[in-house]
Amino acid sequence: MVALPAGRTRRPRRPSAREAGTALLFVLPFLLLFIVFRFGPAIAGAVLGFTDYTIGGEAGFVGLDNFRRLVEDSTFWSALRVTVIFTAISVPLSMIASLAMAVLTRRMFRGVKLFRSIFFLPVVTSLVLAGVVFTWVFSEGGPWSQAMGALGLPAGSWLADSVLVVPALVLVSVWSRFGYGMLILLARMQDIPAELEEAALTDGASAWQRFRYVTLPQLRPALFFVAIIETTVSFQVFDTIYVMTGGGPVRSSYTLVYMLYDQGFKYFDLGYASAVGVALFVLTIIVALIQRLTLGREK
Amino acid sequence: MRVRKSLSAVAVALVAALAAGGCGGSDSGGSDKKSVTMWIYPVIADEAKHRAYWDETITAFKAKHPDTEVKVEIFPWANRDQALATAIAGNKGPDVVYLIPDQLPKYARNIEPVDAYLDDAAKSDYHENVAKAVTIDGKMMGAPVLTSSQPLTCNKKVFEAVGQQTYPSTWNDVLAMAPAFKAKGYDITSYPGDIKNTLNLTFYPLLWQAGGDVFAPDGKSTAFNSDAGRKALGFVKQLVDGGYTEKSLITTQPPVEQTRLAQNKVGCVWHAPTSELEQFWGKDNIKVLPPLTETKSVAYGTIGTLSMLKGAQDKKAAGEWIAFVSGADQAKKYDLASNYFSAKKSAGALYSGQPVVGEIEKFVSTTTPGPLHEKARDVQGVLAPEIQAALLGKKSVDQALSDAAKAADQLLG
Repeated sequence: MVALPAGRTRRPRRPSAREAGTALLFVLPFLLLFIVFRFGPAIAGAVLGFTDYTIGGEAGFVGLDNFRRLVEDSTFWSALRVTVIFTAISVPLSMIASLAMAVLTRRMFRGVKLFRSIFFLPVVTSLVLAGVVFTWVFSEGGPWSQAMGALGLPAGSWLADSVLVVPALVLVSVWSRFGYGMLILLARMQDIPAELEEAALTDGASAWQRFRYVTLPQLRPALFFVAIIETTVSFQVFDTIYVMTGGGPVRSSYTLVYMLYDQGFKYFDLGYASAVGVALFVLTIIVALIQRLTLGREK
Repeated sequence: MRVRKSLSAVAVALVAALAAGGCGGSDSGGSDKKSVTMWIYPVIADEAKHRAYWDETITAFKAKHPDTEVKVEIFPWANRDQALATAIAGNKGPDVVYLIPDQLPKYARNIEPVDAYLDDAAKSDYHENVAKAVTIDGKMMGAPVLTSSQPLTCNKKVFEAVGQQTYPSTWNDVLAMAPAFKAKGYDITSYPGDIKNTLNLTFYPLLWQAGGDVFAPDGKSTAFNSDAGRKALGFVKQLVDGGYTEKSLITTQPPVEQTRLAQNKVGCVWHAPTSELEQFWGKDNIKVLPPLTETKSVAYGTIGTLSMLKGAQDKKAAGEWIAFVSGADQAKKYDLASNYFSAKKSAGALYSGQPVVGEIEKFVSTTTPGPLHEKARDVQGVLAPEIQAALLGKKSVDQALSDAAKAADQLLG
């Protein structure tokens, strides 16, 4: 075994046509399922956005009418604003919580596996169930309002307040999501060579300096991944809002996915609902590209 | 190399199996027997009783139509539209389904009118308001089997505790009595303003009582942004601002047992079913009164109909089933079992002499089921948050109704 000079990596061998064929064969079942159940419906949904399809009706081509209607619809702009605000608060908070918990549970100590499992538990908890519990937590007279009252802050229900309802929903979202991000970051952290930190320690770097200048740069690809996932999930938030607020009060928590649901499954206007879906898709892509340009520019 | 070959073979087999699975599997079984599938909801709350009713009805029907198999499936009320709409879209819908007038315009294009399946005597036996509520473009979209009514119901115990000797009959009475209720720790009424509530039960009755309506007569524009609309919303706002109703209900919808209504702290309501009130108030404490009056006395009431879907496999069999179930005698049994009222004139009063249900029955012929408009629910979707905004003081009554009308009129094109 000969060590490679620092800074050089071994170039992977180009697979033969036969090997590539075999690999493709293994991928094929998933690819088929992906096309049938993901890609196909997504394309069909986008196409529906150009029709006036309603349940049980004929789908007539209406060109850009649904998108024109979208631009003129104040409900759309309100839902877009709520979605962006929710995401803008939720993603950084979720990432900070994930990172903090990953750092805390990185070291091996007695019971650390139990803590990791407990922190991951909200990820596998039903959001509907969590929504029901948190509705009580944030209700007037519930634990949260009592705690706020004890701190001398307004003790009313956050879910009934058009300003505080989004932060309340963000807290639920962060609670339910941070375990996933923690797991990804923890896996990456454990991959960071111990020598790097040891070298920094030898050079006299403080704990913060080691984290800031050694750990954090190494986490960049994982942070990028978590940011993309959290952004996508935040843009698609629905379950907790459906259970906890119904989009209210006064549409203060009415997001794009809620609007899509209302248009599609309450008013059966699937053409318009699909247009909302396309708008959401475009928005997600734009934000993901921006994130790639900033967070993920190195890899 | 051998391992690789084996793996390739497994992969090929997997793909082939998947492909075969995707291609095969259609049910080729067939039968000459006719069949009808009906979807209904917990009209009778006790599921065992409800199931038993339909089992008995199917047996009675089969005695007359031995070649027809009937399957009645009872689904929960919650999200019924989503289940039905997606089933229709996937060609998996039932032959017959229970709908209320509020739903009929949305499903109209999927509904086979029942006129051809009911005889003239059956059709002319319906109360006028009932027949009108299920008729779209001159065609009956379903065969009504039951009706309900939501007049004013008051809690005698609360009135006694407050020392109030008379009951309200007008909006002014309500406003005049409200401070006395508040002083004793009671609310004169409750207003569920959370947007999950249907306006048919909450705001529209007030709009109608003030002489207004949701849509213009031609249905091409809305009509709630009117003097009547402002009066109705102003009335609710006076109640909220005065602290005469439970304010948290404007933005939340807690389980009813957690509300002041269930805690015997509310005087009168027009939106809660008496079956629910009986549980919390006790039958003896319920006082049934005519709907409140501003310029007229009018209440919401729904009508349960059995509609045939256009995708019904055997329309003749489905029609026979609908005619049988909605027949005066059979429907009467259902109404009595479910504590609802008859849609038929020939049935007469089903509950005369009974203290609560018998009193409510008197108002059935004067109730209205709400607007029969394809965009009725969409309009509720834009109006309800604006009403909430006005009640929370985020907008003036004028501004809220004006903004709602602007958004609603856009929906109507």
